[in-house]
Amino acid sequence: MPVEVRELDIDEVLRYMGCPPERAEASVRVLAERAVELLLREIQPRWAWRAFRLTLEPDGVRLDGGLLLPGADLKAHLTGCEQAALFCATLGSGADRLIRRLESRDLAQAFAVDSAAAAAVESVCDQVELELQSRFPGHFFPFRYSPGYGDLPLSLQNELLDLLDAPRRVGLTASADHILIPRKSVTAFLGVADRPVARKSRSCLGCPAREECQYRKSGGHCGIS
Amino acid sequence: MGFRELLQKPGPVLLDGGMGTMLQARGLGLGEAPELAALEHRDWLVEIHRSYVEAGAQILCANTFGANREKLARTGKTVEEVIPASLAAAREAAGGQALVALDVGPIGQLLEPTGTLDFETAVEIFAQEVRCAVSAGADLVMIETMTDLQECRAALLAVKENSTLPVMVSLTYEARGRTFLGHAPACAALTLEGMGADVIGVNCSLGPREMPALVEELRRWTALPLSVKPNAGLPDPGGAGYDITAEEFAASMAELTALGVKFCGGCCGTTPEYIAQLKRALTGRTLAEPERRVPAAVCSGTCVVPIDRVRVIGERINPTGKKRMKEALLRGDVDFMLSQALEQVEAGADILDVNVGLPEIDEGAMMVRVVKALQGVVDAPLQLDSSSPEALERGLRVYCGKAIVNSVNGDAETLDAVLPLVKKYGAAVVGLTLDRNGIPQTAEARLEIARRILERALAYGIRREDVYIDCLTLTASAEQAGAAQTLEALSRVKSELGLKTLLGVSNISFGLPARPVVNQNFLMMAMTRGLDLPILNPNVEAMIAAVRSYHLLMNVDREAREFIAAYGNAAVEVKPVAGGARSLRQIVESGLRGEAGAAVRELLETVEPMEIVDGILIPALDQVGADFEAGRVFLPQLIQSAGAAQAAFEVIRERLSGQAGPESGKGPIILATVKGDIHDIGKNIVKVLLENYGYAVIDLGKDVEPLAVAEAVRTHHAPLVGLSALMTTTLQSMEETIGLLRREGLRCKTVVGGAVLTREYAERIGADFYAKDAKESVDVARQVIG
Repeated sequence: MPVEVRELDIDEVLRYMGCPPERAEASVRVLAERAVELLLREIQPRWAWRAFRLTLEPDGVRLDGGLLLPGADLKAHLTGCEQAALFCATLGSGADRLIRRLESRDLAQAFAVDSAAAAAVESVCDQVELELQSRFPGHFFPFRYSPGYGDLPLSLQNELLDLLDAPRRVGLTASADHILIPRKSVTAFLGVADRPVARKSRSCLGCPAREECQYRKSGGHCGIS
Repeated sequence: MGFRELLQKPGPVLLDGGMGTMLQARGLGLGEAPELAALEHRDWLVEIHRSYVEAGAQILCANTFGANREKLARTGKTVEEVIPASLAAAREAAGGQALVALDVGPIGQLLEPTGTLDFETAVEIFAQEVRCAVSAGADLVMIETMTDLQECRAALLAVKENSTLPVMVSLTYEARGRTFLGHAPACAALTLEGMGADVIGVNCSLGPREMPALVEELRRWTALPLSVKPNAGLPDPGGAGYDITAEEFAASMAELTALGVKFCGGCCGTTPEYIAQLKRALTGRTLAEPERRVPAAVCSGTCVVPIDRVRVIGERINPTGKKRMKEALLRGDVDFMLSQALEQVEAGADILDVNVGLPEIDEGAMMVRVVKALQGVVDAPLQLDSSSPEALERGLRVYCGKAIVNSVNGDAETLDAVLPLVKKYGAAVVGLTLDRNGIPQTAEARLEIARRILERALAYGIRREDVYIDCLTLTASAEQAGAAQTLEALSRVKSELGLKTLLGVSNISFGLPARPVVNQNFLMMAMTRGLDLPILNPNVEAMIAAVRSYHLLMNVDREAREFIAAYGNAAVEVKPVAGGARSLRQIVESGLRGEAGAAVRELLETVEPMEIVDGILIPALDQVGADFEAGRVFLPQLIQSAGAAQAAFEVIRERLSGQAGPESGKGPIILATVKGDIHDIGKNIVKVLLENYGYAVIDLGKDVEPLAVAEAVRTHHAPLVGLSALMTTTLQSMEETIGLLRREGLRCKTVVGGAVLTREYAERIGADFYAKDAKESVDVARQVIG
């Protein structure tokens, strides 16, 4: 199923910009609206997924008897899930290029587009998540969980992308330092359980910056982890 | 039969089909590296290859698609173990019935400027594969499934520099006719043929029914044989399989011979059955191969500019006579060059000239940096302008597309130094009609030099269409008779040699009053005599207007569409109110970037520049900074104000550099996003704010090695270094960088920042200061530098 982003919630974009929506000046709101307009012209959201059987082991979670996802946090998160859908989603390289282009001339606009792109990736992931849930009727799902949350290492990115054949299928890669490229992209696990599990809420758990985080202060999330 | 004989033989050549899916069908486990099949499942591999030979494949792709050192790193095996074993397995299965190709797939990481992998590193990774294949006796190289034209170039260059093997190159496109990175078949065709590919094609991602449009586009832009290896239809989004049968596949593929496709095979999801069906469907088919003539054109990775009408080359990225550009080059301020590039493209430039030559800097290194940065933001093709063959070559290596080299002249020495580079990297070249004896007076003598340049270029194997001649504009005030000779020479080069022509226009009026009038009229005269490529300042509206008028009057701009689009609404355009209404202080505090320049210009008529800075701009910024700290305004307003102040400073800077020598800011301060990290928007916000407060900032960019930071501190005697990191994983690079600065005994202070950083962590890694936002970094600079 193709995923589209036709519009974005401007308040959400403002939160990513570190500005509480109810206190945004008109000029800042205009900046955010323009950012959304510029961004939506340049993005091409794509995604890919694959389902895995899970085995909980002492050191983490194992996928279909293959890759071990190390650490305690994901394991706790997926307890009660017999399987998980691994997915990746990306806005494509157009967003990166647009931001680079704006950066040299109008930093405020570049910053607003960067924030809009963070909101757009979240929107894409929300749609993907709904789509995946519909593929597992009668099942239950905790929130989606990405490398970088808790103690799940970012260094898994390259292997996760390989499992999804992501470079070929959607053009998503990871750098040698495990940064997803195109930048505005996400990989995540959606646990799938036969019996109800606590949905739990996505939070900034494990982020060392949570105390001073600008995004959190304005009621948002940075979109990085 | 060797590959070259196969190429000569009429009729289609059959390739093999999918490998990954075949290995999985035999039981290759999840997470098992398919590249190791030659070592771990040799029997399967030989059987699969053999079944393709039996199906009729004339070329086998060895199982080396991912056999590069980056992908093999996780397996514990080396390229030197995997490639010879894989080639040997294919060779055994071929049994003399088929040729064996080294199959080269993507590295798995994206190259600069999209990603972080350095171009030369990519070339070396591919070169290692090629060297192994040469010693193991491969018959050819097949580079395939590429989504990045730049990566394709790296692989092709590696083949050319390390072997004499024939090479087929193929990219994978989406249904919209572009690769994931936006590269078009036309760009691939022009670029790869120029660099010496033997066959160009399409593989993977789509099914055979989606191929005709892609093949049509390739045909228009290359004269080389074409290859097509589609998937077995379109994939299921969950990755479960493909949607067409072997019969349907074969029938659709056979149709492609009518488009002249010579090499036919299959990619993901195809099996020996598909290839056997394909063989049957191709039997008796002949290729429709009318001679293809590719027109003169240049390109970037995303945009082809055919030289089929007047194409404007923007001249602004050149320090000659431009103090601000010179300053930007000395400081390594690439952002300034990017803004100049974007401005020119918006004004109407089709191609941008890039000249970064200054005696004080390493021209080659700067050329590489600027070309990469420009290609990250503009689609327009570039003209690399230098008198140094070394700088040209460095620029050409990293340039993605078909560039123009500016320039050679009739002197045998420059021809022999530069033309081989033009050939190797597939560029077009500008030939100046001068030689050792200077610029000839007469049109006849200039034509003679043009002829000499053309002959030499042809002898090096450069296409006639890729030679552009510059008959040289002389200053009319000094040599009034010269203009007529230039135009005469231009006209004869065009009619007698049939070459495209190029001319720097602005020189004509040097030393005269009313320069724009002279320039515009000279341009019009030159265009009517056959000028294809004027080099000019596109920001001067009169020049672009002349080009638009010419296209209108020559019936190139059909139905005057472009002309009307450009000028149809001119009457209703409302100019922004300049100054007056709002004070400069209000403008900065409200972040009205668009109004700042005009307001400052008006003030400068009565107020001294430094008074504006100290009396208005800095207090306005202080106010916004204080409001930000107090939570009265938020980050976007802070950036908007900084942007407005920046626009105001730019005007003041122009005024000051018009008067005195280069003004020196306080500092300087070195800024960098640390090694491994590529988030630089936060660092850029800090940079603008620091510059607003009068600090000279040397911005090293992102993904910066600790050594480069230390070197910059040493070279510039910087008292303060700002480091940024946004990932938990790259905080370590920050620590390493600070550690190195300490070990080297450099007496600079360090300030660190970034979303995941905390005050405690900053202390732990030995930073002198932590700045939680851009405003705090200014406070730190004030404390350290004053």
